Amino acid sequence: MSSKHLRTGHVRSFSRMDGYLDFFQMLSGIGLILFMWSHMFFVATVLLSPRLFNFVAWLFEATYMANVAGVIIAMILISHFILAARKMPFKRNEFGEITKHALLINHKDTWKWLIQVVSGMIILVMGLAHVWVVLSAEPMNIGGKELIISATSSASRVANGWLLYYMVLLLVVEVHIGIGFYRLGVKWGYISRETRPFWKRIELAVTASFIVLGVAVLYTLLKYSEVSGI
Amino acid sequence: MARMLTFNIFRFNPQDEGSKPKMQTFKIEETDSMTLFIALHKIREEQDPSLMFDFCCRAGICGACGMIINGRPELACHTKTKDLPKVTTLMPLPVFKLVGDLSVDTGTWFRQMYQNSESWIHTNKEFDPNAPEERMSNETANAIYDLDRCIECGCCVASCGTARMRPEFMAPAGLMRVARFMVDPRDQRDSEDFYEIIGSDEGVFGCMGLLACEDTCPKDLPLQDQLGYLRKKMGITAIKHLIPGRKG
Amino acid sequence: MKTIYTDLLCVGAGLAGERVAVEAAQAGHSVICLSIVPARRSHSSAAQGGMQAALGNSIMGEGDNPDIHFEDTVKGSDWGADQEVARMFTEAAPIEMRRLAHWGVPWNRIVPGEQTYYKGGKPFTAVEKEENEGLIHSRAFGGTAKWRTCYAADGTGHSVLYTLDNKIAELGVEVHDKVEAISLIHDGKHCYGAIVRCLKTGELSKYIAKATLIATGGFGRIYRNSTNAVINDGGGTIIALDTGVVPLANMEAIQFHPTGIVPTDILVTEGCRGDGGTLLDKDKHRFMPDYEPDKAELASRDVVSRRMTEHMAKGKGVESPYGTHLWLDIRHLGEKHIKTKLREVEEICNYFLGVDPITELIPVRPTQHYCMGGIRTNKDGATYGLKGLFSAGEAACWDMHGFNRLGGNSLSETVVAGGIVGDKIVEFLDKFTGEVSTKAADKAYKKATEKVEKLLAEAGQSGGESVYAIREEMFDILEQAAFIYRNGKDLEQAVEKLQALLKKSEGIKLLSNGKGASPEMALAIKMQGMIKLAQCVCYGALKRTESRGSHTREDFPERNDQVWLNRTLATWKEGEYLPTLSYEEASPYYEMPPGERGYGDGKIIQADLDKLPKKPTKSKKSKAGE
Repeated sequence: MSSKHLRTGHVRSFSRMDGYLDFFQMLSGIGLILFMWSHMFFVATVLLSPRLFNFVAWLFEATYMANVAGVIIAMILISHFILAARKMPFKRNEFGEITKHALLINHKDTWKWLIQVVSGMIILVMGLAHVWVVLSAEPMNIGGKELIISATSSASRVANGWLLYYMVLLLVVEVHIGIGFYRLGVKWGYISRETRPFWKRIELAVTASFIVLGVAVLYTLLKYSEVSGI
Repeated sequence: MARMLTFNIFRFNPQDEGSKPKMQTFKIEETDSMTLFIALHKIREEQDPSLMFDFCCRAGICGACGMIINGRPELACHTKTKDLPKVTTLMPLPVFKLVGDLSVDTGTWFRQMYQNSESWIHTNKEFDPNAPEERMSNETANAIYDLDRCIECGCCVASCGTARMRPEFMAPAGLMRVARFMVDPRDQRDSEDFYEIIGSDEGVFGCMGLLACEDTCPKDLPLQDQLGYLRKKMGITAIKHLIPGRKG
Repeated sequence: MKTIYTDLLCVGAGLAGERVAVEAAQAGHSVICLSIVPARRSHSSAAQGGMQAALGNSIMGEGDNPDIHFEDTVKGSDWGADQEVARMFTEAAPIEMRRLAHWGVPWNRIVPGEQTYYKGGKPFTAVEKEENEGLIHSRAFGGTAKWRTCYAADGTGHSVLYTLDNKIAELGVEVHDKVEAISLIHDGKHCYGAIVRCLKTGELSKYIAKATLIATGGFGRIYRNSTNAVINDGGGTIIALDTGVVPLANMEAIQFHPTGIVPTDILVTEGCRGDGGTLLDKDKHRFMPDYEPDKAELASRDVVSRRMTEHMAKGKGVESPYGTHLWLDIRHLGEKHIKTKLREVEEICNYFLGVDPITELIPVRPTQHYCMGGIRTNKDGATYGLKGLFSAGEAACWDMHGFNRLGGNSLSETVVAGGIVGDKIVEFLDKFTGEVSTKAADKAYKKATEKVEKLLAEAGQSGGESVYAIREEMFDILEQAAFIYRNGKDLEQAVEKLQALLKKSEGIKLLSNGKGASPEMALAIKMQGMIKLAQCVCYGALKRTESRGSHTREDFPERNDQVWLNRTLATWKEGEYLPTLSYEEASPYYEMPPGERGYGDGKIIQADLDKLPKKPTKSKKSKAGE
């Protein structure tokens, strides 16, 4: 913006910014998808044994990964939201138009986008709250180690009123991720007309599997809380 | 026995102070090989001569008769009534300005699009009437033709959520037009030139990948693949400038 | 009320109108194109087949040149063509194709090496030359000695129109669409633009211009069954006739296309037959070789249409709820060929008939297709009656088609004539020194307003005639008397009935309120004009007591060059119920004297060849005797 004449707004200034922003929206999306999948595999270790879960938690905490990653993920999450918000129907008439539009035309992928917008907003609030709650918890002594994240603390949250919260978060996150990764492929040309039906099935399968996995984790934690009497 | 078909049709004449927007029901008896072209003309000529709709070639070539047929943007002329349920709802295409009833003004929108997308061959070569034509491979000719098949019916524009929310968006038809010139070797513009036209949120980065265009295009144009290709190409064109050592 | 000034007003923005507009805009004149639909929906876009031009690149077109193209055209016209114009056309066509290529048309190109083509339903191989790789290809079309038709898959009209409209956008030519010119502004000597009704709002405006071009295409929609788009109802032709001083020519010369699908009369391209499609009867017998052993399905359109009608009259047609028809068979061309070269055809059959042409037969019948006649112009495209009024394309009778035009020649004509006429209009505009008459504009506007206001005032009143019922009556009359076969008795009746119908149509009242973009109003405004066009067809056909090209009189089966080697001119004086007919020599000279066409086996009453005007001596060679 070195040229003063551009400040008037009467001269169209050429900028690559939209390209960069769109590219980083994709990158942040991919990053979050990868994180969420890793996150799920991590918590799913509880299915094998709570001790394994605690061991992995200790690994992350001892290397300060948990805190650093927590902050970074929160930042990526916020950036991703801001980048994606460029497309969101925030103005009242925009939201009205897109809703009427979805109602007028009989088209699933259009509805999916609306779901993505709504789920994105929910994730922003509930996801950040979750990160805050997990990382700001009082450390507990588990097997001689001071752990913020542990099967015991997670189980206690699930057992003490957070179950519904996590059920909702699980659902919105997995739906958002499923649609998101399908849409990324479509938008950037990696899913073609020919392969689209295949990837739609993959989208559905991945979403469903992760929801099942998540429910199993929550169930296990609930059981664990009963067994260990939390 | 022939079916009795019911049509619920959007009615509004903006030029008539007495007209209020409403849905109106018409009934006609189905005949063999009936299309909406036949049905709507029958309604106009036998029941309500004020009914406005557009047809031109009635052969799926000109793109005049786009409308929302039971929730789907389609060409009315190639919609056979035997493929429709007993009750059909007809609405005008959104996004475009309403002329009246089922008729919308696609002409103004598309003429603006030609300017926005600079829909013509950019070359500094002069035509020489005495020289033979410049050679081109038949494959290239076919590739251009494949993208040149757009009939500007407006179905993709009307189905596009982004176009509905953001009037400044170039919409699938505008982006496809640029893709058509990208494959044409006679056009001397390069990626950077095309980036100036579509490298923004009003252009290809505004596309949200809803694919309603892909799913409704009556000519089955490769919208999904082209939009993906354009985004990738334009994305790379932009990102190249972030790599250190390259000229910005 | 708006008043808009421009140098050139193009009424019609199809290929001819836009080609002229490009020429004028490039010369620096202001141009406005009017179009009844968004310009790219113009009927030009529906022409699938291609454009004839003697490029001679392809192996099957080898040795082709404008001379051979000229001969084909004149033969095709049954010597009704203006030979000077046909000459200009064939010479300019190859350059025009190259120009279009330069502007962006994706013509199909030559692929060197062995290629499989079809002729008469049978595949054969031909070797395209290495040195011609990448030059413009051509395909076969009816009535031609060489494969000469340049094409862009089977969307030639579409591709060329889009290219020209892109050019228009580049040049900044204004295109006003969804408007309709309803009368011309003139003072009996000069034309100064048009009164225009907006089809979005119903408002009338004055478009005042130094030069006006009518390029509104044909008037096929005066027939019930026509391959034409629904907009081809002769609007531009009507406003020229309404001036009372501009003659229409050869209105009786109407071409019927052999292959309109049943029931919607959508055209499937001649390319089908050119590529090897065959016609079958109810016994699945290929009958065309029985009548035309040499050319079979590739004889000119009028011959094929007539043979089909003749064959159906023998009881060989297929009966259906929509009347008798025949079959078109392209199954043997194979899926790949049909899905690439004939893709639009495949779509039409699937979408509009529910027939898959790869495995099934296509029901076809002859249907109205093209108007050779129209607004008579000289070779520069200037109309006879008014200075400053020009015409080009199907709307015009420039007259390279005579009584039958060849497939691919009309699409080619739009751009070739557009270029030539555009050039002449630029000359006219450059020399223009006079004043445009605003008085004439006011007069025309007042008249048009009165007509519209009368219709609005009487809208909804009882006791009026329904415009749709009137149109049905006109359809019936034409179908009865002015279809492929015509005779004096039917035509006499038709002329009488049309006079009565014209009187009756004065009582048309709208059923709706006619406000805004009312389609009923649009039709009511031009209904009387349409009846007049129908009358020009019937009256001209009645008086022309011979058979020539597509004009076939059962009672006068021979071509009579002694009496009828001429062109019918029709003007319509205000208040009359019949046109005034006069005749002019078919061609200023006969470079190619009247002879046998080589197909159609019509009898000829020969003219005295010595008395016919010869081509001026500077010509390079005479074609006499061929």
